[in-house]
Amino acid sequence: MFCDGVADLDASERARYADLLVLIAAADGELVREEIQLLEGFMGRAMVHPEARTSIRQGLFDTNRLSNLLKNAEQETLRYVLRDGVLLAAADGDYDRRELRILKKIAAAAEVGEDELKSLFDWVSRGWEWHADGINLAKLPARKGSLSE
Amino acid sequence: MLPDTLQNLPRSERYAYARLLAYMARVDEEITVDELAMFEQQLGKALLSPNQREVLRRSLKSPPSLEECLEGLGPEAGRLALRDAVLMAASDGTVDDDELEVLKEIADHLGLVPDAVQQLIEWTKIGYTWMQDGYDLLNALQG
Repeated sequence: MFCDGVADLDASERARYADLLVLIAAADGELVREEIQLLEGFMGRAMVHPEARTSIRQGLFDTNRLSNLLKNAEQETLRYVLRDGVLLAAADGDYDRRELRILKKIAAAAEVGEDELKSLFDWVSRGWEWHADGINLAKLPARKGSLSE
Repeated sequence: MLPDTLQNLPRSERYAYARLLAYMARVDEEITVDELAMFEQQLGKALLSPNQREVLRRSLKSPPSLEECLEGLGPEAGRLALRDAVLMAASDGTVDDDELEVLKEIADHLGLVPDAVQQLIEWTKIGYTWMQDGYDLLNALQG
């Protein structure tokens, strides 16, 4: 039921997956706690080795590696990055143009068209609604603001 | 996976939250890869120190009692833990009787409405459909 293949990728691909997500998180020049929370969650779900996570976190300060990562990552990895990258970019409640630019580069490398990319954005919006329902259900304080594209 | 209020809680509460999830992962005495991946995801989201994470991973082998887990849990962390415990219990496709019993015990401890667990299970089903949609979308991108 918890259907995700990220943890089944090779260790090197999972590291690239996490490296690329770090670049998306750092794209707008600031890193908010929501983004760090998601990044750590994605690395956990991908079961990236704890020691590898330490070096991946350093990537936040080295944002010039995008072209190499895009060149070396497998298509499957890039598609996971795209899906989770859109979620990550939405984490602070808004999509920054620099985040969108990097997502479009990843989409191009993954051979994903504009319409398909839009489908991913729509899917993320539906996820936000579901997540908000969960917060209400548990009678938890809702996060301020809502997602805008 | 989306951000929530967990990160705003004090570290001790986040630790208690993760400890309850570790307990939950072991309720049926076996940990599937899906449960482990979900546990690691929530551990990451809790923003705990590497040392605390290591302790919690070790606790998967010999988890504390449920009473111990509930002791340090405040109301908000408790409700978050219950919500995510339901997600984790369902991560291998079913919520079995042992898991259901523990979930109801946690809900009772928190003083929630009698059908709280059932409501969360229904919410979880919708979420997994959403996740599956995302997965299907990825598969469709392969052409």
